[in-house]
Amino acid sequence: MAAAKKDQKLFMEACKKKFKEEPTDMETKYYCYGGWKQSKSKVEFQKSADAIAKKRGFPMMNEDIGVPLGQRSWMPYQLSHTDIYVEADDLHCVNNCAIQQAWDDIRRTVLVGLDSPHQTIEKRLGKEVTPETISAYLETVNHTMPGGAVVQEHMAECNPALVADSYVKVFSGDDDLIDEIDKRFVIDINKLFPADQAAQLKKAIGKTLMQAVRVPTIVGRLMDGGTVSRHAAMQISMAFISSYKLAAGEAAIADFAYSAKHQSINMGTMMPARRVRGPNEPGGIPFGHLCDMVQSDRVYPDDPARGVLETVALGAAVYDQVYLGGYMSGGVGFTQYATAAYTDNILEDYVYHSVDLIKDKYGGFCGMKPDNMEQLMKLGDEVNSYALEMYERYPAVMETHFGGSQRATVSAATTGIAGAMATGVADCGLNCWYLSMLQHKERTGRLGFYGYDLQDQCGSANSFSYRSDEGLPMEVRGPNYPNYAMNVGHLSGYAGIPKAAHAARGDAFVANPFIRVAFADPSLVFDFANVTKEIGRGGLREFVPAGERSAVIKG
Amino acid sequence: MAAYKRQFYPGTTSPAKARRRYMDPKVKLKNLRDVSMDDVVRIMGHRNPGEDYRSIHPPIEEGKEPECPIRKLVAPIEGAKHGDRVRYIQFTDSVYFAPISPYQRAWMYLSRYRGVDTGTLSGRQIIEMRERDLEVLAKEMIDNETFDPALTGIRGATVHGHACRLDEHGLMFDGWQRYIWDDDKKEVIYVKDQVAIPLDRKISVGKPASMNDLKKRTTIFRADGVDMRDDKEVTKYGIRIHYMRTLGGYQPFNVKDM
Repeated sequence: MAAAKKDQKLFMEACKKKFKEEPTDMETKYYCYGGWKQSKSKVEFQKSADAIAKKRGFPMMNEDIGVPLGQRSWMPYQLSHTDIYVEADDLHCVNNCAIQQAWDDIRRTVLVGLDSPHQTIEKRLGKEVTPETISAYLETVNHTMPGGAVVQEHMAECNPALVADSYVKVFSGDDDLIDEIDKRFVIDINKLFPADQAAQLKKAIGKTLMQAVRVPTIVGRLMDGGTVSRHAAMQISMAFISSYKLAAGEAAIADFAYSAKHQSINMGTMMPARRVRGPNEPGGIPFGHLCDMVQSDRVYPDDPARGVLETVALGAAVYDQVYLGGYMSGGVGFTQYATAAYTDNILEDYVYHSVDLIKDKYGGFCGMKPDNMEQLMKLGDEVNSYALEMYERYPAVMETHFGGSQRATVSAATTGIAGAMATGVADCGLNCWYLSMLQHKERTGRLGFYGYDLQDQCGSANSFSYRSDEGLPMEVRGPNYPNYAMNVGHLSGYAGIPKAAHAARGDAFVANPFIRVAFADPSLVFDFANVTKEIGRGGLREFVPAGERSAVIKG
Repeated sequence: MAAYKRQFYPGTTSPAKARRRYMDPKVKLKNLRDVSMDDVVRIMGHRNPGEDYRSIHPPIEEGKEPECPIRKLVAPIEGAKHGDRVRYIQFTDSVYFAPISPYQRAWMYLSRYRGVDTGTLSGRQIIEMRERDLEVLAKEMIDNETFDPALTGIRGATVHGHACRLDEHGLMFDGWQRYIWDDDKKEVIYVKDQVAIPLDRKISVGKPASMNDLKKRTTIFRADGVDMRDDKEVTKYGIRIHYMRTLGGYQPFNVKDM
């Protein structure tokens, strides 16, 4: 998407599609649109609910219960930087299988190094490891990981049609080694990344040979996130035994399982039990990890803002909709709230405007010294004022984000992203986020909701604090950071801030080069380079997820 | 050392002045209408007019209060003395130049009243209080200048609408249509109570103010009204809060007045 022109607002198209009035009109008509029947989705839902109620013999969902829906003109939602329009219902994470698959693909990924097992094989077991043996192992592990048996002869296995998405690939910064390994099992950094990003990644990864393990989606759904590394560990161990002809009961074999379980990289860190979920669940994903999953800046390297916005979109879907939408809400969840950050090109307009501003007035990306607080606040004030002014100048935009929390997130995200891009430092961006929140409250006399406001009004003080329970570099904060544990609606914007800092710096990764490469893999079901497009395809019911059970259901 | 004199709010612009006025308990707010107490009670919907207050504990004088220095220090409000339930009234304030906005409500309530518990969200502001005291407060808040019939809503649930465009009569959107426009009288009429239960009789809350008048009275800074950045003192005040908090958490030893 081209940078926002000063006379052409990026949200105009969506506003005109939503409302028949001009986006600047302050008045409209209500109570005259036919209620929920103006929504195709609601009509479909009611028909379906009626059939279910008839079949089961007692009532089900009924759109006529509760507040009359559809008193306003029913708004479609444009997935930002796409031409896809859907209804809000289509973006509920229960209804959208692309959102589900995004989370499935994250959860079912575990990164397991091969260096340690190879040392065990060579030094302890006295067997040679060569590119040929590695390729043979990879063929074996691509049999075991989906649920194939190799050691005992009378074993139950998983139906391949249910676990088609399961596989193992490898990558390394060692080009010579990678050249020797069977290409079918390689995530090729040189081919997938622009040259400068590839060079950075290979330098960071070094000679380590890393496996990107994808356990079956259905396993992650049936068991849980913590199970993923266990499933991987068993199947990796079996593959080693089979491909290197090892003794199944030998104590050295335990080293393989140990390294796979405990020296591997899960996508999510451990969460406290009170947060409902266990290890490797969405609340444990640090922002830096989520940033590295998003691949837009790999595919569109000349448009760093796009990568930032896609990170916000993924954060909204995974953190705010899937995780906090269940943990804090359930039912209708936080769909309406979270999707504001990735629909209708509103955040897009604000961020591209900020990019122009940084280039025109603040020395370009990373042109501002991070310790120049006065300049940082000046930029923050300017960006935040623009965002808030757009809501005031364009009532259609205000009504699109009809919840104050939506506006607060989007304005603060813009301001935070701008601060991070101007300095190249995520914590400077975070500081701008809190400036936005305080100014927003002061200007409009309102902000979000009780809990929301609490964190935002004390956040300035922890934006640079490095005391353990008050501050962390933004790259390693996440929903697990104490003040963010129930910070719904914020997590999307927060995630965008470290991405903005590193995208502006031209960094190939934010926190973890291994995760960055693992999610460049074209074999993933969800395309992490086109997040909003994928969610839009989910909304249009065009997205095909993995792990469906139709192969074992008659009919 | 001179006694501290409350300043309430900085700034020189009309929203800043309105904020100061609303917060200062010495300022008597202007009454713009007189909705009867019985009608206020009907709109709130917690009891019927004339019905006794329900209590959750015996009158304080009859009970045995534990020995407590705070109880000796704080005189109970009337409802507390009688053991009233805690009930609520909740106002929704439109972004389109409503006379007051949620945070200013909280500041105003806490500055002017005792025994209140407020909760502030983006569109609405709930105030909870012992029932008989609440009714007095509610009548004041419906009658006075902080209330506009078109841009202030009395809503217990389904409160959104504060950021929606206005209807053809200039009324803030309400999914329950608790209030409607009386085209003959050019007044706003409540036909449902706070939680959208139909009222036995229609209750007029009067004529909305003109947009020009509201723009002069509102506490809300807006680009198409008074921009906050045009009020240098308010802008500086916000920046100062952020800067001092930032430094306080990062290098508290370097905190000096700004």
